[in-house]
Amino acid sequence: MTVVARLATDEPQILAFCCNWCGYAAADQAGAAKIEYPSSVKIVRLMCTGMTDPYYVLRAFERGFDGVLIVGCHPGSCHYKSGNLQAKDQVERVSTVLRGLGLEGRLKMTAASASEGPQFAAAATEFTEQVRKLGPSPLREA
Amino acid sequence: MTERKVGVFICHCGGNISDVVDVKAVREDAAKREDVVLATDFRFMCSNEGQERLQKEIRDRGLDGVVVACCTPKMYEDLFRGQAGEAGMNPYLLEIANIREQCSYAHRHEPAKATEKAKLLVGAQVEKVRRLRPLDVKTAAIQPGVAVIGGGIAGIHASILLGSLGHKVTLIEKSPTIGGNMARTVKTFPTDDCAMCTLSPKMNEAYNHPNVDLLTYAEVVDARRSPGKFTLTVEKKPRYVTDACIGCNRCTEKCPISTAKSPIQVDSEWDAGLQRRKAIYLPFPQALPQLWTIDADHCFYFQRDGACRICAKVCPANAIDYTMKPERVDIEVGAVIVATGFREYDPTPLRHLAYGRHPNVVTQMQAARMLDSMGPTHGSVARPSDGKPADTIVMVQCVGSRGAPGDPSVHEYCSRVCCMVAVKHAQLIKKARPDTEVYILYNDLRAYGKGFEEYYAHSMELGVKYVRGLPGSVRPQGEKLLVDVDDMLTGRRLRIPADLVVLSAALEPSPVDDLLAALHLDKTPDGFVKEYHAKINPTETQVKGVFVAGCAQGPKDITDTIAQAGAAAMSAAVFLGSGEMTLNPLIAEIDPALCRACDRCTEVCEFDAVHVDPGRLLAVVDETACEGCGKCTVVCPTGAITVRQFKRPQIVASIDALAPLAVAP
Repeated sequence: MTVVARLATDEPQILAFCCNWCGYAAADQAGAAKIEYPSSVKIVRLMCTGMTDPYYVLRAFERGFDGVLIVGCHPGSCHYKSGNLQAKDQVERVSTVLRGLGLEGRLKMTAASASEGPQFAAAATEFTEQVRKLGPSPLREA
Repeated sequence: MTERKVGVFICHCGGNISDVVDVKAVREDAAKREDVVLATDFRFMCSNEGQERLQKEIRDRGLDGVVVACCTPKMYEDLFRGQAGEAGMNPYLLEIANIREQCSYAHRHEPAKATEKAKLLVGAQVEKVRRLRPLDVKTAAIQPGVAVIGGGIAGIHASILLGSLGHKVTLIEKSPTIGGNMARTVKTFPTDDCAMCTLSPKMNEAYNHPNVDLLTYAEVVDARRSPGKFTLTVEKKPRYVTDACIGCNRCTEKCPISTAKSPIQVDSEWDAGLQRRKAIYLPFPQALPQLWTIDADHCFYFQRDGACRICAKVCPANAIDYTMKPERVDIEVGAVIVATGFREYDPTPLRHLAYGRHPNVVTQMQAARMLDSMGPTHGSVARPSDGKPADTIVMVQCVGSRGAPGDPSVHEYCSRVCCMVAVKHAQLIKKARPDTEVYILYNDLRAYGKGFEEYYAHSMELGVKYVRGLPGSVRPQGEKLLVDVDDMLTGRRLRIPADLVVLSAALEPSPVDDLLAALHLDKTPDGFVKEYHAKINPTETQVKGVFVAGCAQGPKDITDTIAQAGAAAMSAAVFLGSGEMTLNPLIAEIDPALCRACDRCTEVCEFDAVHVDPGRLLAVVDETACEGCGKCTVVCPTGAITVRQFKRPQIVASIDALAPLAVAP
């Protein structure tokens, strides 16, 4: 198996798992309102953040992402009642693993309702800057 | 992986995409991907011509996978899937790459980067589509008939409309009569129409409607759903009075309960506790059905082992039957309208207002009862302490409404009707006795509806006094109540000696938590039924086939309640009229080879949608209940439970396609 770099860039590469109802809709809202955020943020749509298997997070880091952002509904307003709370638990679990891998601070979960385009853009921008300070992922450099 | 024929269609969106993203470059990149047999671009994919192209290519090339790169899937995913289905491809083999909101819009000043990102987004969806399998779309026939829960004005109106459209309606009301809160309101703002004169004909219409079956004194105690059908278990409480009742009222006259000597005193619900009622009673003269009811909890016969049989003795029709038992019936319907209404907030916890501690502090509903010529004071607003007319009346707004967030004793929301209720009652009082001093102490006066501002202005012409400020205390002094309030507009502190204080208490949801749980309905943080979408779907709920109308959904006046009940009836009629419903195929499924029946999925499921079949030792998904959230897929230790279209290989393929590192074979 040969690993090759697909991108020649210093921009921190972020993968965002967004729930269909809030996070994804907030990103749509940001776009519709022409609020800009780094193009290095790529979104995978899930129905609910509760669907975010820790494996997906690990896979993203394995494939060279510098940071993973999970954007769901605000606590109490999950479309599926409490999927976002399960996601939060899973994030805490996988964070322990990430610490062991030297990936601390590269996984973040946040909330943005469907109308919170500005908040989505701000979260995407701020997280990119946070990861930029950490430098490229040690797994990408390896 | 078997070979697939994937088509990629890239939309210019009339320049919205193509002015930023280099569509040609995206197309050429897509064409190089494995299994892509066609990559094309077009000015407007959503136009008729665009859709025809999509269908033609699906037919001509026998595509078994499509990626449309365009705007957000929330816009046209359903449209394109429908078109693909018509062209003979399974609709669920089509995915959208969102290159407008996520590329040309969000990165419009960086065309090169937007283009690179668009290539990756298209690639990720191509990889996903290559791993998708066709899904069966199942339908279920919808059971004819609709149940309306709650016999207030919302439920009555919805029942009449649905019955008139030819639907069989079962109207279920927990109290002995239909009519609800509106029946008690005496007059309605802003026209001062007699409430009963407008309500009573509608009550009669519902009662006599050939398509409306009325179940009063009955409660829904359980609800089950299966594809296209709800089965409601309704408990009919015993009235202990048979249909033979002729309405002569002799039983009520002779009933010993609530008489001066009786140890049992029962507050009249109809008169909001300002009067007592007998144990055998008709709630109010226009009640429907015109059947008397024995309240067994307060009847000597039931409470004292058959000690009293006076009503049976005086009844000329032999209509009293002490042996009646509760009866349970199952009702099968295709749709349900929840119209359970509101109750008035009990202001007792707000100790500074002295409600419950002083008889001359009442609520607006109690004031309404006093204003009723048939009510406890025959239309004059009097002091409950001694029955003397109240010369000075202070009304207090926002009691239990618009409270501090997080304070459990009050509600954060505005109850919307109380401003106009106070204006209405103040006017009625001034018109009846112009010398009465009426003050309304308010926070903000909200006269937002049609004719409301004029109504409010008219009340000022009549001499109603408005003070901006809410009272700090209400304290008795002699025969009076001293109301202390800071007038925020003049900065003065006022002390008003009042004969009567009327609290504009909040509207709060009727206590129907068990019903909502049985129907799998959610509540918004304010405790009212959660609608499907607060803005554009206010009468539908998250449960397909269940609709909501009136104050069950949130505080509203009678005008809005009627409008919403009509809308809910229409939504229910459209749903019932469609005859069948499509079951969402994007839900969980079980791989029997991997399932170990460990129960983890059932533990996390919020929708009661997965059960372990003990016979087969296998988890089973209830296809009508599963919402497809995928919580179960994360906790499943073997990967046996997956959500269709969001299976691990499909998501991983998307991640890999977007990733900075590629793995070369």
